[in-house]
Amino acid sequence: MDSAIQSAIEIGFPLSLLVFAYVVGSTIERRHYRRIRVRERQWQRVPAVTFRSTPASWQVSESGLVTGSVVISVDYFKRFLAGLRQFIGGRVKSYESMLDRARREAVLRLKADAMERGYNAVVGVRLETSRMANGRRNGQGIAGLEVLAYGTGLLLRQPPA
Amino acid sequence: MIHSNTETVPGKRIVQFYGVVSGSTVRAKHIGRDLMAGLKNIIGGELKGYTELLQEARNDALERMTQQAESLGANAVVNVRFSTSSIAQGAAELFAYGTAVRVE
Amino acid sequence: MSFDPALPDDSVNVSRTHPVREALVLVAGIAGIGAGLFVAIALAVDLLVPRVPPQLESWLFDGSWLSVADGSREGEAADPRSAVVDDLLMRLSAHWPDHPYAFRAVVLEEDEPNAMAFPGGVIVVTSGLLDRVESENELAFVLGHELGHYQHRDHLRGLGRGLAFGLVMTALGWGGGGTARLFTFAGLLAGRGFERDQEAAADAFGLGLVDAEYGHVAGAADFFRRLPDPNDGVTERIASYLATHPVSAERIQALSRTAEEQGWSALGPVIPLATE
Repeated sequence: MDSAIQSAIEIGFPLSLLVFAYVVGSTIERRHYRRIRVRERQWQRVPAVTFRSTPASWQVSESGLVTGSVVISVDYFKRFLAGLRQFIGGRVKSYESMLDRARREAVLRLKADAMERGYNAVVGVRLETSRMANGRRNGQGIAGLEVLAYGTGLLLRQPPA
Repeated sequence: MIHSNTETVPGKRIVQFYGVVSGSTVRAKHIGRDLMAGLKNIIGGELKGYTELLQEARNDALERMTQQAESLGANAVVNVRFSTSSIAQGAAELFAYGTAVRVE
Repeated sequence: MSFDPALPDDSVNVSRTHPVREALVLVAGIAGIGAGLFVAIALAVDLLVPRVPPQLESWLFDGSWLSVADGSREGEAADPRSAVVDDLLMRLSAHWPDHPYAFRAVVLEEDEPNAMAFPGGVIVVTSGLLDRVESENELAFVLGHELGHYQHRDHLRGLGRGLAFGLVMTALGWGGGGTARLFTFAGLLAGRGFERDQEAAADAFGLGLVDAEYGHVAGAADFFRRLPDPNDGVTERIASYLATHPVSAERIQALSRTAEEQGWSALGPVIPLATE
């Protein structure tokens, strides 16, 4: 009888942790996406592009380096799914949304930084992604993922759009 | 869809630009590939399994980036850049990004 | 060039699969692989074990470390009942003509009733078990059951399976983590099935020995039939024994069925244990 209780605890505890992580994690994610979409629509008219050359029609009065970065962590449920994937292989779908969020958030912060400094366009945008390793499990797990977006902010006489 | 990793598409003129488009996939290798890699670590040489895996993933990412560009109505992506990052042990992210433009 | 501030399709980089569905599929897949791997290992071990010569086994698992519990080696006064148990063991194993081990019974001073078969031929019976046994037939069945484990080389099987599974896990390069635990858990569950079969086989063999010795199987399963009474300290101990050697009503029924099939009579005199 004890072994039945023991097994129940062995499965029950991680399972409830997974359920908790899933519920809370996906709520947080949905909220974040909502905020991302709102800001993306708000700042649609500020272009962020990866090419460096500016068209002759643009009259640039000022320029400077702008950056935006974010570190996002993944919830336990997604980490568990990724662990399963590392056994079977294939597309790790659970991490896709984390990366998507991180990138879009970084670009939004880039635009925010540019606008704060008075620019109305960003060119030469570059994105860097790096993993923050979780120190505990010999660097195997991830504590979080950092995305850095940097570029050159431009103040144009005429707003581009 | 035209892809170019230069600022402009050589021989064409950019008439409109949209913004940054990107495509990413996260791929994990399965245990079988790990074993082969372990063996190769002893004798050295190309890890064909991994090469293929990453190539597939890169094409996937490019495909996604193209999809985003198409949804904007662009017909070319310039300044394409690739980035590979290790997400977790055994899982890597392939990221492709560029600027969606309309060329003539 | 002009700027078109449209927003791109943002669903491109995220898959539509529902994560819970993906989780269920992956968990089922990995559990299936773990169980399948364990079954494959168990079958392979079952094939190999009969080829291991008993002499090798006895040599590998020399039971001399048990002399600490058995005072007779050093000339100290051991539990006086160990002679009775030993004698019974000899009588029982005489009905197994080709038994390849030199069996020895050791009585361990412990309140918890238990009986264990150790590799190499040493059977340990706790003083707690001897206190609770009420007839010789009961004790004979317990010893016979342990002898059954020897006959089927069960401890070797368990050892082999554990080793092989552990080796596979190491080769795949895991120490821990959720996936590894899931994999092991699935394997263990699959293993329970094999263990149940082993226990049933040992039961049948033990019952056969009892019939060979006494001419009938009456009283053999009495020890297990005694229902645990929570207020009674003695039967509480039996309950703990039952927990480690799960004895369900099914098991007792299976014993009756086996006796019927084999034509062993369930009627006959039950002999009290000689120590009383």
